[in-house]
Amino acid sequence: MSTAPSAPLLRVSDLKVHFRVADRLVRAVDGVEFEINAGECVGVVGESGSGKSTLVRAISRLMPNLPLDEVSGNVAFEGRDIFAMNDRELRALRRSRGFSMIFQDPLGYLNPTQRVGRQIAEALSPDGRGRPDRVRVQELLDEVGFPDPARVARRFPHELSGGMRQRVMIAIALASDPKLLFADEPTTALDATVQLQVLETLYRLHKERNMAVAIITHDLGVVAEMCDRVYVMQTGKILETASTVDLFEKPQHPYSARLVSLSTHRLHGAGGPE
Amino acid sequence: MLRFILQRALYAVPLIFVIIVVMFSLLYLIPGDPVQALVGDYPVPPAFRAAIEEKYRLNDPFFVQVGNYLASVVQGDFGFSYQHQRPVLDLILERAPRTILLASVGFAVAIPLGMLVGVLGGTTTNPSVDKFWTTTALVAYAVPTFWLGQLLVMFFALRLGWFPTQGIGPLVSRAHGLDWLLERVRYLALPVLAFAIHEGMRFARIMRASVIDTLAQGYIITARAKGLSRGQIIRRHVLRNSSLPLVTIAGYAFGSALSGAVLLETVFTWPGLGLLLVDSIRLRDNLTVIGVVIFSAFAVILMNLVVDILYALLDPRIRTSG
Amino acid sequence: MTELTTPNPAQTTLSRWRTTVGHMMGTRHGAIGTVILLLLAMTAILAPYVAPYTPLQQTTQSLAPPSAAFFFGTDNIGRDLFSLLLYGAQSSLLVGLGAALAALLVGGTIGILAGYFRGRVEVVLMRVIELFQTLPVIMLVLCAVALFGSSFSLLITAVALAIWPMEARLVYGQYIKLREREFIAAARVADLSTWHIIFREILPNAAQPIIVQVALDASIAILIEAGLGFLGLSDPSMVSWGQLLFVAQDYMDSAWWMSVFPGAAICLTVIGLNLFADGLNEIVDPRSSRGMGGLQ
Repeated sequence: MSTAPSAPLLRVSDLKVHFRVADRLVRAVDGVEFEINAGECVGVVGESGSGKSTLVRAISRLMPNLPLDEVSGNVAFEGRDIFAMNDRELRALRRSRGFSMIFQDPLGYLNPTQRVGRQIAEALSPDGRGRPDRVRVQELLDEVGFPDPARVARRFPHELSGGMRQRVMIAIALASDPKLLFADEPTTALDATVQLQVLETLYRLHKERNMAVAIITHDLGVVAEMCDRVYVMQTGKILETASTVDLFEKPQHPYSARLVSLSTHRLHGAGGPE
Repeated sequence: MLRFILQRALYAVPLIFVIIVVMFSLLYLIPGDPVQALVGDYPVPPAFRAAIEEKYRLNDPFFVQVGNYLASVVQGDFGFSYQHQRPVLDLILERAPRTILLASVGFAVAIPLGMLVGVLGGTTTNPSVDKFWTTTALVAYAVPTFWLGQLLVMFFALRLGWFPTQGIGPLVSRAHGLDWLLERVRYLALPVLAFAIHEGMRFARIMRASVIDTLAQGYIITARAKGLSRGQIIRRHVLRNSSLPLVTIAGYAFGSALSGAVLLETVFTWPGLGLLLVDSIRLRDNLTVIGVVIFSAFAVILMNLVVDILYALLDPRIRTSG
Repeated sequence: MTELTTPNPAQTTLSRWRTTVGHMMGTRHGAIGTVILLLLAMTAILAPYVAPYTPLQQTTQSLAPPSAAFFFGTDNIGRDLFSLLLYGAQSSLLVGLGAALAALLVGGTIGILAGYFRGRVEVVLMRVIELFQTLPVIMLVLCAVALFGSSFSLLITAVALAIWPMEARLVYGQYIKLREREFIAAARVADLSTWHIIFREILPNAAQPIIVQVALDASIAILIEAGLGFLGLSDPSMVSWGQLLFVAQDYMDSAWWMSVFPGAAICLTVIGLNLFADGLNEIVDPRSSRGMGGLQ
C-alpha cells in the first residue's frame, strides 16, 4: 500500500490475457508493461486486432464475457493491486476518484430506454439515494460543451447525434471525478469535424481537471494532437514507447515507422487537423 | 404517436372483415341443408325455415349472403341460438367476463413467474443453475395444459379434497368479504395454476434469451464502469429492457388466451367462451360457433393493437420517431 | 473460373452433416432428444408386432388398474391401455411430422419467394403471413374440424395451417440474410440459374435453423393434435393419445391411469422434439447455451 511520491498513477507489469475462440488460443495481450503518471496523456496505438482494446478492458476489469484462458500479471492503481480487489473495493474505485472509461460506439453504450440526464445522475450516485442531483448533471453537461444542458438531459440517446452521444459518455465518465480516463477509440465512429471537436473537449478536460487520459486508437493523428507519450502495440505486445515527438521524428521499430509514415501521409493528404 | 395508433387501428379493420367472410364461407361450405347448418341439430318447422331463409337471404347469390351477414354482425347481431333460445350476442356477453377473469388471473401469475425464472437463469454465473431452470422450463412447457389440469384435479381436488373439481363457484354466493374472495380463489386456483405453469415457462424461455441478449449490450459495460452492483444493474438496466419482447409475446398470448382457453375451460368445466364453443360444436349450434370465433378474433386483434401501443410507450425509440 | 474465390461455406455438406451428428450426440440435450425420438419412431413402426392387444380388442376387465397383465391398466371398455399407447404413437408422430412437413413446404415456399425475390412479392407475402399470425388459427382449426368432421388428412391440413407462418418467417429471415453474402454474389456473377442459387447455394446454409424450426413445429403440431383429440375431435378410426385423455376426463375419480399414461406419452414426445431442437441449436449457435460471465 505504500505509495512512493514518484510512483506512477497506474503501473501494469507482465499483463497477459489469453482466451479461446473456436478452440484456438488467442494471446490478445501478451506480457505488457505499461505506465501512466498522474495528469499525463498517453496514447496506445495499434491496428485493429493488436490487443489494445483488450489491454484497457483488462486493466479496468471490464472484460466482455469470453471464455478466458488466462489473465495474469500485476495492475497497480496508486499502488493498489486491482486484480486483487474484491467487488466492493472495485466499485468504490469506480465511483469516486478512480478511473472511468468511454467507448467507440456511444449509442450501444448508452441505455436506449433511459433519458440522458438519468444516466448521468446514476453515475453521480450509483446507490440512487436521495433525489437525483439535477444541478450536478447540468454542470457536467455544460462542462463537456453542451450550450443547453437542461434540454439535453431530457433527451433519449437515439435523439442525439454521434458527437453529442460521445459527449454524454464523457459526462458520465466525469461523474466520478476520475484521476484516469480510458478512451477506447473515442472518435473512430464520428465524422471528421466532430472528431476534432470531441478531441478538443477531451484535451481541455485533461488540462482543466489535471486528469490522466489513456487514448486507445489506431490513428496516430489523434495521438499527435493530444498525447505526451505513445505506446505502439502489435499482436499483444508493446513494440515501442516514446514521447510523441520522438516517435514522429525517429521511430525505433520498423512497424512504428510504417505507422508514422502512413499517418503523416494521410495528415497531409487530408489537409490535417493542424 | 396518435398517427401510429390510428395506423394500427386502420390496419385491424380489414382483418376483421376477412375473418367474418372466412367464417361465413365455412358455414356456407357445410354439406347438406343450409338452414339446418345455421340452426344446428334442431327441428325446424316450415314457418321458421321461411323466416331463416329470408333473414340470411339463402336464395340469393353467395356474395349477397356474405354482405348481409357482415352487415348484421357490424350491427351487433350475431344471430339467434336455437339451442339456447337466446341471441348469440347475449350468450357471448354472459360468458366473456368469466374467460377474461380466468385469463387475467392466469397472466397475473404467469408473467411474474416467467420473469423470475427467466432472470434467474439468464443472470446466474453458475452454469448448472442456468441448466436447471432451462431444463425445468423445457419440461414444463412440454406438459399440455389440459393434462396438467387433469393431474391437478386428480391430486388436489379428488385425492386431497383441497379444491373443487370443476366450475366457477355458485353464481349467487352467500359469503361476504374475505370469505367470498376465498371461495372465488378456491375455484380459480387449479385452472390458474395449470395455465400459469405452462404459459409461465414459455415466458421464462423468452425472458432468459432476452436477458442474455441485454447483458451482452454495451450499456451494461457502462453500468459496470459506473460502479453499480450486480443487483443494481439487473434492476435498473436489465429488467426493463429485456421485458420489451415479453410485453409483445405476453400481449399476443393474452389475446389468444381469451380465444384459446378452450382446453382449460373444458378440463375444469369453467363456463366461459371456450366451453361455450365446445358445447356449441357438439350441439352443431353453428351460428354460436361462428359468433364466438368472430368475437374472439376481435378480442385478439384488439389485444394486438393494445400491445403495439404499449410497446411504443415502453420503447422511446418507437415513441418519439412515430 | 479462378476468380470465383469466395467459397460457399456449406460446400462440404456431407462431412459437415457427419460432424453435426457427432456433435449432436456430444451435447446432452441433443443426445437424449435423439434417443427419445428414435425410440418413439420404433414404437410407432413396431406397434402391431409388439402390442399385446389390438386397439379394438376388449378384454373382460374394464377399468383394471396397472398390473402384470395390463402394464398401464385397462380403459372403461376393457381395452389394454399399454397397447393403445403404442398404437397412439403412430397418429401422434404422423400428424406431427405430416403437419410440420406440410408447414415447411408452404412456409418454406412463401419464405423463399419473399426473402429471395424481395420487392412487391415480399410486401404482399409478409402481409399474408401477418394476417395468419393474427387470426386465432387454433379456433379456425377447431371449427373446420368440427364443421366438416374429422379425417386424418383434414387434421394434418388444419394443424399445418396453424403453424406454417412461423416456418415462413424463419426461412424468410435466412434468405434475406444469406442472399447478401459474398458467395451468392459470386454465384450470380457466374451466371448460375436462380433455381440453382436458391436450392444448391443458399438452402444448404439455411438448413440447420430450418430443421430446428421443423422439430419445434412438430412438437407444437403434436400438442395441437392432442388438444383436438381431447375435445373429442380426432379421427375416430385411429387411436390417439389426446382422444384417450378425452375419455379419461369422465373417469378421473376412478381410473387415474387412464389420464396419467397417455399424458406422459405426449409430454415425452414433445420433450424429445424440444431437446433435439435444443441440441441442434447449441451446435449452430454455441452462444445460446452460455451462462453469464462476470457481471463485475
